[in-house]
Amino acid sequence: MDYLYDGTYMGLLCCVYAHYYVEKATGIFREGEYQTSLFGKVYRVKTDEDKARRVYEAMEKKLGEFTLRRSYLAYLSNFPDKEMRLLRYLVFGFKQGRGFNNMHGHPDVFGVQEIEKRIYNERHRYLGILRFSVIKGNRDVLYASLEPDNDLLELLADHFLERYQAEPFIIHDVKREKAIFAAGGDWYIAPLAKDVTVQLAQGEEFYRALWKHYFESIAIKERTNPRCQRNFLPKKYWNHLTEMQV
Amino acid sequence: MFRMDEAMRKLKILADSAKYDVSCSSSGTARSGQKGKLGSAAEAGICHSWAADGRCISLLKILFTNKCVYDCEYCVNRRSGGTEKASFEPRELAELTMEFYRRNYIEGLFLSSAVEVSPDHTAEKIHEALWILREEFGFLGYIHAKIIPGVSPELVNAIGLLADRLSVNVELPSDESLALLAPQKKPKGIYLPMKQITETMAEQKTLKGGGNKFSTVKYRGQDLSYLNPQGGQLDPVKLAGADPTAVRAAGGLPVMAREEAARYGELRTYKEKFAPAGQTTQMIVGATPETDRHILKMSEGLYKTFFMKRVYFSAYIPVVQSPKLPDVFTAPPLAREHRLYQADWLLRFYGFEADEIVDEKHENLDMEVDPKVSWALRNIRLFPMEINKASMEELLRIPGIGNVSAMRIVRHRKMAAVKFDDLKKMGVVVKRAKYFITCCGKYYGDIDPEPERVRPLLGDGMIIPQGVRIKDDRADVIRGKLSDHRDGVQLSMFSGGFGTDGTEGGNVHGLSV
Ligand code: SF4
Repeated sequence: MDYLYDGTYMGLLCCVYAHYYVEKATGIFREGEYQTSLFGKVYRVKTDEDKARRVYEAMEKKLGEFTLRRSYLAYLSNFPDKEMRLLRYLVFGFKQGRGFNNMHGHPDVFGVQEIEKRIYNERHRYLGILRFSVIKGNRDVLYASLEPDNDLLELLADHFLERYQAEPFIIHDVKREKAIFAAGGDWYIAPLAKDVTVQLAQGEEFYRALWKHYFESIAIKERTNPRCQRNFLPKKYWNHLTEMQV
Repeated sequence: MFRMDEAMRKLKILADSAKYDVSCSSSGTARSGQKGKLGSAAEAGICHSWAADGRCISLLKILFTNKCVYDCEYCVNRRSGGTEKASFEPRELAELTMEFYRRNYIEGLFLSSAVEVSPDHTAEKIHEALWILREEFGFLGYIHAKIIPGVSPELVNAIGLLADRLSVNVELPSDESLALLAPQKKPKGIYLPMKQITETMAEQKTLKGGGNKFSTVKYRGQDLSYLNPQGGQLDPVKLAGADPTAVRAAGGLPVMAREEAARYGELRTYKEKFAPAGQTTQMIVGATPETDRHILKMSEGLYKTFFMKRVYFSAYIPVVQSPKLPDVFTAPPLAREHRLYQADWLLRFYGFEADEIVDEKHENLDMEVDPKVSWALRNIRLFPMEINKASMEELLRIPGIGNVSAMRIVRHRKMAAVKFDDLKKMGVVVKRAKYFITCCGKYYGDIDPEPERVRPLLGDGMIIPQGVRIKDDRADVIRGKLSDHRDGVQLSMFSGGFGTDGTEGGNVHGLSV
């Protein structure tokens, strides 16, 4: 039977619960993204904290922390069939027991490993290519915007919190209209409209210009290789990159 | 801060002069942030952008000054050269670094320099810039500082206490070439600071060599007596094989730090330490006649002797017209540089000796296939290897299998036999590996190896398959199939993944591992 859930992680865990205790899932879809099928009924999985917790605790106890982290990363990804992949992965895990992650060639393990790698790579990329601007506020605030494929905002928080110990910063996922607000060693995520306007602090344009200038100077003419450049830095990321603005 | 036009001018000149320096990676130190300070350093290295030449930009790579009193033949900044000159003030450079870092343009600073007035004079300025950065501005990002040959030991030490990584360039692959092209730089002036850096790290017990091969080598006060000018022999090539106790690779063959640990590399707390990310060096390739064998033996010697983290090669780009140098129209030997990096990778991560990669009969690397394939083809009688039986060391010798995939194979087969279809999922480059393996006894390469030979065993007529054997003449067929010379591979050392220092272990440098 096809499941519909509310798109939350807790909701997804409840789907796992239902798979074991109600009826096996043939597909799991977010509410609103489901094309009603002509055959078969759909089951609306109600998000229930207790059930979610039971699944979570079973995962923690039987499959370990690594699996917990991996599952959550899979949930944050934008893979269209991530829900079923995650379900199969967990079902296989519960059958096989701890250590199942070592079966790298098994399709159910690989299915999630692949998603995890994808989101992890995108995160790693953003650690480098996120560009902060100093904007005016009561005091200087660092502001960065991005449009990631995966919903990875929260995976960026700790890295930058570590770096910017003395400065407040905002990381804005324009696509999903939410942002990390961080200051004084703490952070939270809150909605933020995509068309928010920011006012640049004094000196900001100066350093942007310097950076662009540096960026152009550092390339070796004799080795110009736009294909290689785009390979590492696909065009879709250029919008938010200071050095790529004309 | 300095004026706009002045800043632009300096930045242009000093970045322009620094750009031929290739050792751009920022990895090797992990350090967490501190209250009220700016910065941290991530173990795995982070690329912040990619320049038009496809190279990763991680650090603000720049010269402190390009006003040089030396006259190295190959260099645009040499005394007799006509390039426009500029120098930073220490504070200017510190501010620039802070502001770039704060906007996440860069991972840190890579500061090199020409020799203004004297090595010590320049080193003092560099020290001042780093001191302002670290002590006054509280900068905790990554710093790589170049040590100019001939700098006094006190300054090497003081700079090492502020920087994460130090490097002294060997510049050219032999003393003769050095004397010819960089006459003011003396081998002793290069090797003495290297030795000092190695010894200081040994004292503070942080000495660890490059890759996973040399990191298991023990420092036993490597014999550096050859540094005595009376001793004559200054060439580390001569030293490479001299100390048999130096490399005990056998027990500690390449097993990468667990892949997850590398990826989610945990942060340690920062303690003031001398060059916590160790030292590296660099040499120019293609300006002088040394063979690849010479260069790789020399690299191996540098890894064993000084515990270098990396030895970088820089394809000579003819920027200067001189009778002592290749013609200015000579194309930079990028393909050769690429192959050298692949070979270097084999040295550091795959348990190869330089002698295996390039022997007396093959003094130069094969341009048609990568050095691992080249080695395998020369040793075709060792193949095919059975995926489910080969040891970790053997797996690493198979073209198309890297550290990560080898480890996955070993882990997986503890639980179930590895099937041919699983290999791709494990990260094996199947189109390459298939010629060199069997999987559950079956051979998958499309080259028609010798048919499975069977031989009657004992008197009772039982037949035991002897397994697949690859006929010697098949090696050339495989070579034709695996040649990556023509198909427009990115011939650049920078064609790697994220962890330029090998933390990703994967297909960095295009070597299909
Ligand atoms: S020392 Fe030699 S290589 Fe370095 S800047 Fe001066 S001339 Fe160039």
